[in-house]
Amino acid sequence: MLGKGLLTGMAVTLREMFRKNVTEEYPEVQPDLGERFRGGRLELNVSKCIACGLCMTNCPNGSIKLTTVKDENNKRQLNTYVHNTGLCLFCNLCIEACPPKCIEWSKEFAYSGYSRDALIFDCMALDKQQSAEDKSQTTEEKG
Amino acid sequence: MKDNQDILLTIAATLRSFLDPLLGQPDAVDVAMYGVGLAVILGIIFGNAVILVWAERKVAGYMQSRPGPNRVGPIGLLQTVADTIKLITKEDIRPKGVDRWVWFLAPVVLFVPTLAAYAVFPFSDGLIAVDLNIGLFYFLAIASTVTIPFLMAGWASNNKYSLLGGMRSVAQMVSYEIPLVFSLVGVVMLVGSLKMSSIVEAQSGIWFVFLQPVAFLIYVIAATAETNRTPFDLVEGESEIVAGPMTEYSGMKWSLFFLAEYANLFAVSAIATTVFLGGWQPLPMPGALGEMLAAIPGWIWFAAKTYFMIFLFMWFRWTFPRFRVDQLMAFGWKVLLPLALANILVTGVGIYAYRMAIGG
Ligand code: SF4
Ligand code: SF4
Repeated sequence: MLGKGLLTGMAVTLREMFRKNVTEEYPEVQPDLGERFRGGRLELNVSKCIACGLCMTNCPNGSIKLTTVKDENNKRQLNTYVHNTGLCLFCNLCIEACPPKCIEWSKEFAYSGYSRDALIFDCMALDKQQSAEDKSQTTEEKG
Repeated sequence: MKDNQDILLTIAATLRSFLDPLLGQPDAVDVAMYGVGLAVILGIIFGNAVILVWAERKVAGYMQSRPGPNRVGPIGLLQTVADTIKLITKEDIRPKGVDRWVWFLAPVVLFVPTLAAYAVFPFSDGLIAVDLNIGLFYFLAIASTVTIPFLMAGWASNNKYSLLGGMRSVAQMVSYEIPLVFSLVGVVMLVGSLKMSSIVEAQSGIWFVFLQPVAFLIYVIAATAETNRTPFDLVEGESEIVAGPMTEYSGMKWSLFFLAEYANLFAVSAIATTVFLGGWQPLPMPGALGEMLAAIPGWIWFAAKTYFMIFLFMWFRWTFPRFRVDQLMAFGWKVLLPLALANILVTGVGIYAYRMAIGG
């Protein structure tokens, strides 16, 4: 029939009109990020890190910069650990390379800034902050 | 006039009786009443544009499984207000080398006939600014002048793409004007009058959409093209010709184009209501239900039908993809026009046969 396609199209749009919207209203509703989400910052567990530097050597873009020092037992210790997300490809190679599995992606993706420097994160400082927060939380829960 | 007077008519009568002793002369009262009428029509146009812009975005949103505007005000109701404030405060840019007066006048000239056309809409029984004997003809004559400002805008912009856009829109509007007018001829033949109120009254038994279905279809298609809406929105054609004749306009001038577009949308829907959907007449139903429906004031019926037509046009817009320009022209001249002419012929023969049958 002539014009059948037009009517079919109109039926489709009308049906859509009464369907549930698929939009996620972002700032109010946080998106449900999948298991394998990549794209946050690198979250480093300093106490587990063996300072092997494999993450830095594996990074194709040189976005991880770490320095080490030797302690009194001649053991390597992390001195600084910086992740430049502005250079990061989110390829996951650093995480795969890490022997004690002490780095992982944070679920935090909204960290844009007004300068490139805002994209450089000091992971050790963040870890310290994180563990301090965790501690205060646990004490709160206890108290 | 009907016994159960409309509230709006009562208001008008009260206003008149209030003005009568104040102004003394009956002529002065008439002039004052026309002023009030003009203010009301302006109010309808602006109020409608605000509602329709919001409604269009909502319809578009829901048809595309998203909520549409929902940030400014409850369910986004104040979105258009915010947009209006933005448009008013925007800088009015005049490019170098434009033809100053033509450039300036184009949006104004576009808006004025649209405003003038509203004078003949029968919003309800007796609720019509001027019930001309040639109401429908007046509307069509006025409405067809909107091609000129588009050409003016395109030409005065001193931009070859705007000029091409203007020519294109004129070609489109002229082509679709003809089937539009011819689709209404069938109804005029049935009624035997161009007077808006007579056309509505003739439909107290059966709406003309049932007697003239082909004409209604042609009218709807041609009206979509006349208002430059998808699938005939070549005038805008964002991706192909940027914004056609109004590329160079900004701020308030641009919003006049926009306002006229929505005023036109309301106008063609109101004409469709008047000519095909029985105007202010309630849904003809037998028995108690019919009486209940008849108790609803005429202007509500009129508004409901008009908004239904507007919804139809929005529905088209968010469903169909855009035509190519040669398809558009071919469709107008080779399909719609012959169809409209055939409809006139069939209507004429039908009327003749009917007269023969009842005349004996
Ligand atoms: S995800 Fe890839 S690019 Fe980013 S820090 Fe790790 S190895 Fe480097
Ligand atoms: S690969 Fe893992 S353990 Fe080795 S330095 Fe990097 S984060 Fe530390």
